[in-house]
Amino acid sequence: MSVFLLQRLGQALVAIFGVMTLVFFIQRLTGDPTYLLVPETATQADIDALRRSLGLDQPLVVQYVNYLWDMLRLDFGTSYVQNVAVTEIIMSRLPYTLQLTGGALLVAFVIGLPVGLAMAIWRRYRATNLLMGVVLGAQSMPTFWSGILMIMVFGVWLRWLPPSGSGSFSHLIMPSIALGLLSMATYARIARSSILDEMSKDYIRSARARGVTTGRLVGKHLIRNSLIPVISISALEISQLLAGAVIVETVFAWPGLGQLTVQSVQARDFVVVQGIVLLGAFVTISVNLVADILYSVVDPRIRKGGRA
Amino acid sequence: MIRAFTHGIAAAVTLLSAPALMAQDFTVNLVNEPSTLDPHQQWNPDSYYVYRNIFDNIVTRDNAGKIIPQIATDWKQVSDTEMVLTIRDDVVFHDGEPLTAEDVAFSIQRITNPEFGSPQLGQFNQIIGAEPTGEYEVTLTTKGAYPVLLAQLVKLSVVPKHVVEAVGNEAFNAAPVGSGPFTFEGWKRGVDVTLSRNENYWGDTGPFETVSFVAVPDASTRVANLSAGTADLIVSIDSDFARQLETQSGIQVLTAPTERVAFMGMNTIRAPFDDPEVRKAATMAIDREGIVQGILAGGETVVHQMATPSHYGYVADAAAIPYDPEEAKRIVAETGAGNTPMQFATSPVYDQRIVQAIQQMLTEAGFDVEISMTDMSTYLQAARAPEQSERPYLSFGRWSCACQDVDGVQFPLLHSSSSWSRVNDADLDSLLEKGRTALDDETRMEAYSNVQQIVHDNAYILPLYQAVALYGASENLEWTPTANESLFLNRMNWSE
Amino acid sequence: MTALTATWRRLFLPQANGGVPAGVFVAILAALVIVAIFAPLIAPYNPDTQNLMGRLKPPGTEARGTYYLLGSDELGRDLLSRVIYGARVSLSVAVLSVILSGAVGITLGMLAGYRGSWVEVVVMRLVDIFLSIPAILLAIIMVSVLGPGFTNVVLVLALTRWPRYARVAYGQTLAISNQPYVRLARAMGAGPLRVLFLHILPNILAPLAVVATLEFGLMVLFEAGLSFLGLGVQPPTASWGAMLSVGRNYVSTAWWIATFPGLCLFLLVLSVNLIGDRLSAYLNPKSR
Repeated sequence: MSVFLLQRLGQALVAIFGVMTLVFFIQRLTGDPTYLLVPETATQADIDALRRSLGLDQPLVVQYVNYLWDMLRLDFGTSYVQNVAVTEIIMSRLPYTLQLTGGALLVAFVIGLPVGLAMAIWRRYRATNLLMGVVLGAQSMPTFWSGILMIMVFGVWLRWLPPSGSGSFSHLIMPSIALGLLSMATYARIARSSILDEMSKDYIRSARARGVTTGRLVGKHLIRNSLIPVISISALEISQLLAGAVIVETVFAWPGLGQLTVQSVQARDFVVVQGIVLLGAFVTISVNLVADILYSVVDPRIRKGGRA
Repeated sequence: MIRAFTHGIAAAVTLLSAPALMAQDFTVNLVNEPSTLDPHQQWNPDSYYVYRNIFDNIVTRDNAGKIIPQIATDWKQVSDTEMVLTIRDDVVFHDGEPLTAEDVAFSIQRITNPEFGSPQLGQFNQIIGAEPTGEYEVTLTTKGAYPVLLAQLVKLSVVPKHVVEAVGNEAFNAAPVGSGPFTFEGWKRGVDVTLSRNENYWGDTGPFETVSFVAVPDASTRVANLSAGTADLIVSIDSDFARQLETQSGIQVLTAPTERVAFMGMNTIRAPFDDPEVRKAATMAIDREGIVQGILAGGETVVHQMATPSHYGYVADAAAIPYDPEEAKRIVAETGAGNTPMQFATSPVYDQRIVQAIQQMLTEAGFDVEISMTDMSTYLQAARAPEQSERPYLSFGRWSCACQDVDGVQFPLLHSSSSWSRVNDADLDSLLEKGRTALDDETRMEAYSNVQQIVHDNAYILPLYQAVALYGASENLEWTPTANESLFLNRMNWSE
Repeated sequence: MTALTATWRRLFLPQANGGVPAGVFVAILAALVIVAIFAPLIAPYNPDTQNLMGRLKPPGTEARGTYYLLGSDELGRDLLSRVIYGARVSLSVAVLSVILSGAVGITLGMLAGYRGSWVEVVVMRLVDIFLSIPAILLAIIMVSVLGPGFTNVVLVLALTRWPRYARVAYGQTLAISNQPYVRLARAMGAGPLRVLFLHILPNILAPLAVVATLEFGLMVLFEAGLSFLGLGVQPPTASWGAMLSVGRNYVSTAWWIATFPGLCLFLLVLSVNLIGDRLSAYLNPKSR
């Protein structure tokens, strides 16, 4: 078992290293950031001088070795554009990303789970089918469109919520809903199938036969037991949400990592992009690692390190 | 349970009711947050809007565009290469220290030092020396005669020597100290920058006690913020948004003709645009009045030279190549110019309505043009490719040097040495050089009038229109936007 | 054959338990496909012809000899014609990127599950790596290196989505490759390619089909998202995503610009998602 653990850990480290290397090089395929940093009137000499001062005139291999050395010393570098330490920039955005991801997960849970439950229990009724249609409909609109419609209705016409920005709980509501809608149907579907699965089990059947009411069954057994697959999918959903947040954050002027990613990639602020990707890779890969290990503990047959 | 629930609703409602906006708190929506607040480091509109209120510059322009004193009260050209500045003696930095000639000289030395690597170096690299020659006097030395010097000094901010030297560049950027009408309060990364009024300012400070600059990248969202009253002033909206805002109560659209010239650039090195006839055909194919009246309709005017009336060097009665789509078609068919597929390079920041309109007009004339839209960095690398011949066939731009002098527009776009230029004409080059270095008005004006003649005869570039800056604002705001697109908070007023 | 007919019936015809029969959504999808294929025959005008004096005209108005049934857009182009032509882009981007990412992902996933050892390690870590790189980064890189356009939109989508298929294919292959009939085929001397594509693939196709249907809807939305970020198909080509991302700027002044392409996009994604949902419920009531 511990050999397996070490192997998986080693592989995870290699994967993170792979992400770092890949991002380092493919970013530099896109040319260099100096053109964006200079004013329109700058001459070629100005551009060259700036490139030197950023260390971008050195051979790629030298830059790469320097980068790895910096990483080893846990020095994540300084933004070309803002001239501020990358860790500081990322740490200032991270709380907003956590709030938004949390809010979106909550929305997806609060709406997705009951819908899934209803569809499993009352699956013979027309209305529950419509419910799924509504849930699927909610994720069939591009967020940049549904987002602006929400802003117009709740922010401008009704004035119930601030149209954009951050700083209070009310600012968080609309972006969370816009982002959460994307995951809602996934939760509904998983809740439905795991509850159906649970309902076909013997203990439920016998409880039914004994005359235990549906309400009691749901409250006592079904929800609790079917929550496990729902929670395990959340790990994967989180990395999806982080990616989907790019557009939501742009529309709602939410200062999270998604917006920072777009801005940094567009500005060719290589150092910041490397920092964000490293953080993302660390989260995604360790979530996968933990999941793999848990699965192998639960089910020794997948000892090879795989899972469905 | 139920009680807790209603309680929650009550709490939520209190949270939701936004506090009424006070006149002394002013909120501006920018597109992006400033890149830096060190005025010597970054030169983009969003940084400039903010830091220009924290710092004073050596000279400035009034609302009409005339250069007027700010830190320097007087300037004298003592020789072809030397200028003496007289400094105000009553200016105090936000930390209480007085501003002296030392600070002015230091600021100029700092921004012109190649080691410092200022992105604005190109604007100031004609200055080779700045020394204090009295307690309130600084002498500047330039490489050669440099008539645009004063216009460039409009853009040079004065930073406190003692602070920068004590804390270093990075810390100074994080907590800038200036002498301007507003003091830096705080910068929440990605959220906003807040400033507060400098009560000890030597001049007017305006009505606002605190001002926050918020980054809102999506134009629709900025417009919604203004409509909902969570923003008092928004920048960077197009003419269709402006028309939408004009109909709303409590909101006004402020406009100002800028010194920005919109143009269509052609690569005159590459076939088929190496043929002046083909360039003329492209010029004749573009319905400039149609673009200005049909799409923009916000006070833009068609121009026939790469200058606006607010530029020094504007030629009063420049000739125009008329709009003539039939003739354009004839030339394209005759020369076979339509057989070469050409890319129209652009980026989302440019008004895509105009890019698409131009592309369609060229297509109708028989050219084979496809739009190639990339992100800004990719676009810039193509537009400034080291080899002139590799620069894009076609592009659309809106150029401003923020110096109101044609040198700042025409030299970079037309001189063969410039990294933007797609023109290579020795006569044109020498005229542009003459205009840049001659000190007397008559020689300069003559050079620029000849430049205009050559550009027109060869159809080297197609000037489109003088752009207008559009701002959305609360109707309580009284403000006159200026041609150089500055946002001076202390020149604003507020009426309830 | 009869099994297939029965499947068809259960999936797409009205059932005793009610609900909208999936056949309705198949019909919507088919209609959109037909519109896309025959766009030049159906569209009343050239979708790119501009009329700068007839911008932002509401539905049902006429200007300079053009009758704008669904109104005109920000450059005076006929919205109806653009919506019709836009179907081509949205559908073909989604179809091609699903095929491409599916082919790559399924092949790699099956190989990893079947061969094990270093193949498995390499493929699954590649999956990790690709899941960790933000799609926007890949999109901008593709555009700046290869230039913008339709092909690159498809490539970006394929490059970012193949790991989804690889995961499912991997897990399913793992579960199935020890089944007696697979072992029998191997014992009888079938080569790895034969085993993979003749014996394993057909048996794991069902869950993969569900993934592909759900992905199809996502691809349509992602194409729209790339347009919003300025990285989609090139203007003036009409695509629903691009029309929607421009039209959202006119929500309160010219609602029709966003509403009609938005509605079509909505119907397309909803239909595909509902078909996928029905399919997954039918094929495997326990998973997903």
